[in-house]
Amino acid sequence: MLITVHIRAFARFRESFGDRFDVEVESPATVRSVMLEVGKRNGQGVRDLIDDGGNVKKSVIIMVNRERVTGEARDEHPVHGGDEVALYPPVAGG
Amino acid sequence: MFRAEGKGDYRMLSGRERERYARQLPILGEEGQETLRSSSVCVAGAGGLGCPVALYLAAAGVGHIRIVDPDRVDRSNLNRQVLHAEPDISRFKVESAAEKLQRLNPDITIESMPVAIDDGNIDRVTGGMHLLLDALDSYPARYLLNRVAYQKNIPLIHAAVSGFHGQLTTIIPRETPCLRCIIPHPPEGGSPPVLGATAGIVGTLEALEALKVLTGMGDVAKNILLVWDGRSGRLDQIPVGKDPGCPVCGIRGRIC
Repeated sequence: MLITVHIRAFARFRESFGDRFDVEVESPATVRSVMLEVGKRNGQGVRDLIDDGGNVKKSVIIMVNRERVTGEARDEHPVHGGDEVALYPPVAGG
Repeated sequence: MFRAEGKGDYRMLSGRERERYARQLPILGEEGQETLRSSSVCVAGAGGLGCPVALYLAAAGVGHIRIVDPDRVDRSNLNRQVLHAEPDISRFKVESAAEKLQRLNPDITIESMPVAIDDGNIDRVTGGMHLLLDALDSYPARYLLNRVAYQKNIPLIHAAVSGFHGQLTTIIPRETPCLRCIIPHPPEGGSPPVLGATAGIVGTLEALEALKVLTGMGDVAKNILLVWDGRSGRLDQIPVGKDPGCPVCGIRGRIC
């Protein structure tokens, strides 16, 4: 069954993937499956989001329903239909 | 909110100071201006962020600015590091910056330290400071500054930029999340492309934030990451919280 997840992207991810949009993913969904779907929107931009092993880059800030999701099991965090997932790539320059 | 009370001299403002600060005294009041004068602030980094930060703090009358950076001015810095100019190439950035800042405001003290922040000098870099400003370009140095800010209980303002984008948060030890809570895994390093105006906006935002932390005026960016998106001209707020497992400040963590 497909579910709809609302995405909110910030800064460079807004450029790459869009500002606010919906994606459809297979249920049960996880942060990983949602991010892989988001990554499909931009073949270049996906490199800032997903690493070579198919994991969400650790540096990326992910929030589900405005709650930060962190820790080793972050990619497997469940996402439900109607959830809002926000993503932001922190920057490093000075 | 933090105030630099009792840390400096409380002589009345001079006639020259009154004239210099005439357009901001109605905002800050004499007490606020004297608080700035008695404040000691460390600007870590004299690059894209450090230049506008130090410039506006010096202009506002922050009494003691310690600027720290090991690098020398390179021509490729000049698109964004606005305190340095063509004749400064090969000089230490902190010397170039200190000269301009002192010329701008001779009533304040500018201290320059041409060193790379490390475990061996971090005590000297942060000693006697009321506020630490992260204008660095590497996360290892940022994490060191963050750890010492927590240990010494000194507020820290974090900022970083890349391309059209930037971020900022204010860290009050034991009250807000620390930098490790907010960014536990640093983004890939290197030298990202940066538009000078981006560094100008985010650096100026950092200077404004510093003035607010020092004087206690307004709301500061506690528990939020301010995210500047220069392409769409938007300033977003991302809520951030303490990580109980944080190795620096977490209740389950430890000082490492």
